[in-house]
Amino acid sequence: MNKPVIGSDLPRRDARDKLRGRTRYTIDRGGLGMLHAAVRRSDVASARIVRVDVEPARRMPGVRAIVTADDAPGRYGLTVADHPLFAVDRIRFHGEPIAAVAAETLAQARAAADAIVVELETLPAAITMEQALAPDAPEIHPDWRDYEVLFPGGRRSGNVAWEATVERGDTDAAFARGDVTIVESCFRSGRQNQTPLEPRACVASYEDGRFFIETSTQVPWAVRDTTARLLGVRPSDVRVTVPAVGGGFGLKFEFAVEPFAALLARASGRPVRLANTRREEMQTALCRENADIRIRSAVTRDGEIVGREAVVLMDCGAYGGEQPFLTTMTAHTLGGNYRLGSVRLLSRAVYTNTAPTGAFRACNGTYNTFALERHTDEICAAIGMDPIAFRRRNVIGDKALGSTGQVFEGDVLGPMLDRMEEMTASRPSQQARADGRLYGRATVVGTWFIFVGPSAATVNLNPDGGVTLVTSGVEIGSGSMMQSLPQIVADSLGLTPQDVTIRAADTDAAGYDVGVGGGRQTVSLGVASTNACIEVKKKILRVASEMLEADPADLVLEDGHVSIVGVPEQRVSVPAVAARAQVTTGPISGSGAFTAPGTAAMPGCAAGHMLEALDLPVFAVHDCEVAVDPATGHVEVLSYTVVQDVGRAINPRAIRGQIQGGVVQGLGYALHEDVSIDAEGRIRQEGFETYRVPLAQDVLAIDCHLHEGAPSIGPLGAKGAGEVPILNVAAAVACAVSNATGKSVDTIPLTPPRVLDLLTGYDGPQEHHHIAKQWTDNCLPDDAVCVA
Amino acid sequence: MSLRVVVNHEERTVASAPLTPLSTVLREEFALTGTKEVCGEGFCGACTVLVDGAPAVSCLVPVGLVEGRRVETVESLAVGEDLSALQAAMIETDAVQCGMCFPGILMTLTGFFSERPDADEEEIRSALAGNICRCTGYEAIVEAALSIRGAGAAASAVEAAS
Ligand code: FES
Ligand code: FES
Repeated sequence: MNKPVIGSDLPRRDARDKLRGRTRYTIDRGGLGMLHAAVRRSDVASARIVRVDVEPARRMPGVRAIVTADDAPGRYGLTVADHPLFAVDRIRFHGEPIAAVAAETLAQARAAADAIVVELETLPAAITMEQALAPDAPEIHPDWRDYEVLFPGGRRSGNVAWEATVERGDTDAAFARGDVTIVESCFRSGRQNQTPLEPRACVASYEDGRFFIETSTQVPWAVRDTTARLLGVRPSDVRVTVPAVGGGFGLKFEFAVEPFAALLARASGRPVRLANTRREEMQTALCRENADIRIRSAVTRDGEIVGREAVVLMDCGAYGGEQPFLTTMTAHTLGGNYRLGSVRLLSRAVYTNTAPTGAFRACNGTYNTFALERHTDEICAAIGMDPIAFRRRNVIGDKALGSTGQVFEGDVLGPMLDRMEEMTASRPSQQARADGRLYGRATVVGTWFIFVGPSAATVNLNPDGGVTLVTSGVEIGSGSMMQSLPQIVADSLGLTPQDVTIRAADTDAAGYDVGVGGGRQTVSLGVASTNACIEVKKKILRVASEMLEADPADLVLEDGHVSIVGVPEQRVSVPAVAARAQVTTGPISGSGAFTAPGTAAMPGCAAGHMLEALDLPVFAVHDCEVAVDPATGHVEVLSYTVVQDVGRAINPRAIRGQIQGGVVQGLGYALHEDVSIDAEGRIRQEGFETYRVPLAQDVLAIDCHLHEGAPSIGPLGAKGAGEVPILNVAAAVACAVSNATGKSVDTIPLTPPRVLDLLTGYDGPQEHHHIAKQWTDNCLPDDAVCVA
Repeated sequence: MSLRVVVNHEERTVASAPLTPLSTVLREEFALTGTKEVCGEGFCGACTVLVDGAPAVSCLVPVGLVEGRRVETVESLAVGEDLSALQAAMIETDAVQCGMCFPGILMTLTGFFSERPDADEEEIRSALAGNICRCTGYEAIVEAALSIRGAGAAASAVEAAS
């Protein structure tokens, strides 16, 4: 018998080539006749376009094509189509594309892009959300009423790109009770740049009336559809394939460079390569959004949360992008973790004259979890309850109601807290290592979800007995295509993972897929693949039953053979079945599909939500110990422990690798990855010199436990494991720093100057004057609801 | 006059101008795309190669400066199908994720171990101070490096390659 493939630490099939420098990422591709492209971008944040003259650039050496807004008529968006490919009439952020050039060499393309004459008339800008929400703020989209609505239901007005609300129970009554303590806090979080090492890059060509784009993306189908929309062509006229991707983390969850290259390829008749420079990536990455949060809770003396309300402002930058969708998540992240008697939450995407923000690993969850967990510790201080005891009492368990009224299944967080306590109790405290510095510790919880959604898979049985899995799945480094999917398919068909060939994403070959992100790939593609294998298996057994003269019901498929139950020597090999099928039924293949079951909210609870409830919740418990240096403000993490709900661990070692990597990205977010925007709307950090990502000397080994057995709709009970590790990190660090310093940490990242401020110049908790104290005063009126 | 450089044990003639970054010459002239150009400013280490056996960030080295010298890239580490001890250790610890940082990390550590085969964990981490990995959180990389320490394996891999 082969050893079981599920739960084993299968190595990665792509590791050898990656270690030998042989893997060809998109940036390593190209070929004969390929042109190089450059994008001319705006260097102001807000302006009227007076004139764009490309003629001087056209006469420059080597130039083969120039494209502008005239060539791309469409606008795209997720809820509202607010985003043109090139700025039309108006510049809305520093770095916005104005034109693109293709030339024989990159230097020629850049020189020509610089030679384009752009005449602008500067307009007033709103750089911060305070400015954008001020009564006299300039409207960033004066035509917002005329934009096509793609998804109805949110409220919109002026610089509020989207507003979603949750209201369950009578919050006013809860806050009016005589027996409650009311705790109120304000928080602020900064942007975080994904900075995958491979920038957004593509090679596009135009052949036989169709676009062919090889690109470094997480979402081949979205690239196909968005490119078509922006260019005004049929989606079927765009083919997207994806080589190995050099990291994504959400940055590559939207179109980026592809439509520019596609237009230039059509205009020049040559393949065109476009890759962002590191500086462009720093200026225009779809960073994790900065957010401002006000949260207020009514809690009884014995720790029951009877009412909670919150307002979350998410800075979407100049265009909505993913943020209107992500406003949904506040209901499940800030509204998650705890049982709430009543709740109302308002979550807004706010336009500013800054680079658009987007998806980043556990999007929306990182800062809402930070705010919620810090707020929870403030509640504990106010009512005099132990923070762990409070969490134990209140965490979501079996039959608990979520904020939108969904009913959770199973006790997951409670047993995970127990497990965390066992792990931390079994080791000595690291306090001695603080050595004169301030020592602190915290345990925090987090609620996240698997962003399930449609996926398709085809499995072809090859004549040699191996199978090929054809999907639109993309390997971005997480291992889902290289480890878990081959394991799942091999397990379904009694093969070894080496028997499973993985076809790289190609929208011409495989069916629709949402893409890799939100922890969905192993789950959605896993189920679709399992379903495809069911059909393949059925066909294999049917052919084998003739060969063995036995009923298919009496046959088993394992170890690469079909045999009769109880008579293992009566068997035929899978290759023999495949050969037989060629002449009887024809080649064997199967297809499978999956989509979100669409768990509903309680009627009337949620407005403006693209997802009303969590189809597949995931939980995490993190603990950390820190030492804060009072002289420098430096925070050292002394220990870090994770208990993560994984459903079932398909490849435990690969999951541990995801946890280590995700927590470390979270430490960067919590402590030193600082994106700051100057008064002119320019992102100050232009490269790795000033944008400090974690290095080998900054980090420590994460101690982790994989919690199995929670309910899951995933394949074999699995849940996605790559997204959630970053969720709780800022919360854990911020709570531990508060514990160490005795100060209320309300802002991340906790850079040394900020920590020093906290220790020395602290002047009480911050106020958000752009969020009204009275929750209802923040809501847009009912007539602001958009309709399609 | 054209430049000559010994690249992966083979004498090559460089057509590019002497001020062209070595990383660009390796990638575009010699198709040695294992060397990654990620920042072009010396901060990420993805373009690290060995120049006369010592690690150097090739994006900051004008090719004119390596005239007549030995340059080794990640493509030189494996001999035939045999991975170097360090490469094999990275497979053992399942260190690789997206893989973009590994060419630079392997060259940094290969150069480092040839000087300091018995280095301890802290020294290994400080040797990696100039290499960014955005995916792995470094532990599996450090673990792999520690696993071959002292065995003379890294050093012999370098010798075998030279
Ligand atoms: S590309 Fe040379 S150090 Fe980053
Ligand atoms: S593995 Fe992706 S950057 Fe290191």
